[in-house]
Amino acid sequence: MRIPSDRDFTSTLRSPAVAARVGVWLGICFGLAFVTGLISHEAYVVHPVIPFPARPTWGYRVTQGLHVLSGTAAIPLLLVKLWTVFPKLFARPPQRLRQLAVDGLERASIAVLVAAAVFQLTTGLLNTTQWYPWGFHFRATHYAVAWVAIGALVLHIAVKLPVIRAALGGDIEDSAQDRPTATIAGPLTRRALVRSALLASGVAVLATAGSTVPALRKVSVLGVRSGGGPAGIPINKSAKAADVVATALSPDYRLVIAYDAHEMSLSRADLERLEQHTVELPIACVEGWSASGHWTGVRVRDLLDLVGAPAGRDLRVESLQPRGPFRATTLPGHFADDPLTLLALRLGGEPLAIDHGYPCRLIAPDRPGVLQTKWVGRLEVIT
Amino acid sequence: MTGTRITLGLLGLAAAAYGALQLLDLGLDNLVVTVTWLAGGVLVHDAVVAPLTIALWFVVSRVTGRRLPGAVVVGAVVLGTVTVIAVPVLGRFGARADNPTLLDRNYVLGWAMLATLTVVVTAAVVAASRRGRGGDRGPGPGRR
Repeated sequence: MRIPSDRDFTSTLRSPAVAARVGVWLGICFGLAFVTGLISHEAYVVHPVIPFPARPTWGYRVTQGLHVLSGTAAIPLLLVKLWTVFPKLFARPPQRLRQLAVDGLERASIAVLVAAAVFQLTTGLLNTTQWYPWGFHFRATHYAVAWVAIGALVLHIAVKLPVIRAALGGDIEDSAQDRPTATIAGPLTRRALVRSALLASGVAVLATAGSTVPALRKVSVLGVRSGGGPAGIPINKSAKAADVVATALSPDYRLVIAYDAHEMSLSRADLERLEQHTVELPIACVEGWSASGHWTGVRVRDLLDLVGAPAGRDLRVESLQPRGPFRATTLPGHFADDPLTLLALRLGGEPLAIDHGYPCRLIAPDRPGVLQTKWVGRLEVIT
Repeated sequence: MTGTRITLGLLGLAAAAYGALQLLDLGLDNLVVTVTWLAGGVLVHDAVVAPLTIALWFVVSRVTGRRLPGAVVVGAVVLGTVTVIAVPVLGRFGARADNPTLLDRNYVLGWAMLATLTVVVTAAVVAASRRGRGGDRGPGPGRR
């Protein structure tokens, strides 16, 4: 059997007219995923270039929901786009050395683009379901490859700009830019193919968005979370997985608040005797799910006043969990002083479930869920 | 346009190079696994997914022995690509015994409902277009 050539692909559907149009939507999805991904990256960094804002309270919920949904929407678009350009893989390389070199460079850049795009969508999709069948560090690698993907995409647009302009400027059924052998009409029009890719994207979004859009919970049959859980909020890491069950339930539990030489320790009963506040704030996870809850507890600022800590200081929040990359997190000063930032003791009127962080957990506006430290054992003002 | 293209091209190269440097910063072990997955993704698409799609289409058109209605292709694009997205939840690979709030749906049933809906809608569209054609012999040039 001989190796196929691009001349063997005869369908008029495999055309730049289709590739450019699907490409525009794919570019929008990748752009959105890149920008929202950068925002999420900033939210994780302790001291980002621009301080991460505490308002709107639902900011991270929306940007991270968009991040995951734009990536999900991109999957059908990428598959259709790769289908339309598949013959290019078998195009015979040019004979002349100069053209051969240019052709080789372009193919290399496309290889990088396709590899990075498939990598980002695959690792992102698997991360939403907490499936990690790989040996690399997910967050750092997904971030690095995002720059490779967006860079290769911008380079690809630069290389293809004349083709894109001609394709988008003309009618979609116009065959001016088609390969010479692409002459056999497909079972549907090109316009219908582009629309079917968009329809598939829309179905993919509807089928998964219920994890973050409560109104779609019943529709999203493929959603990773239905929104159920103790007090109506899902959990990401259980007390058992974090190995804190015994320490969290121990009658000897004390919260330690420290500022310089001032140290104070409070039992859960002591915390309950302090002034209680109720706030409505979402838990918004990097995996794209989110849920809003009514949290009741003590303002972190009130606790800092007990040890005489001045305003504007960063706070080190330590969990009872013995290990894990987010065992201790830093809460920037403007979050610590925010009246909405609580050390929550209750959720939805009930005492906090152990999987939600009993005896107490941090809940602050506009932060990734993993930084909303559960099973808090120590608050230390960084001096 | 040349100026725009050169600027865009350089911007793209710079961003990709920045990403590559970030990747190198994560150490050799991380790099080797990442490159394996990067190459693996291309290989799985170009050597498995794309040829299988062509083979499947070839078999379907041979078995049915005639031109398939466009609506069937639309249905196949929707169901095929959404099924790819469903693989991680259908396999429940990330499920954990200690966390019942994760992967807490019957995904096989959900997928089956989605597949049924796609088939029913596709069949309805095909039937409607056949009826339309049957009652109107000799379609005008503008009709599809």
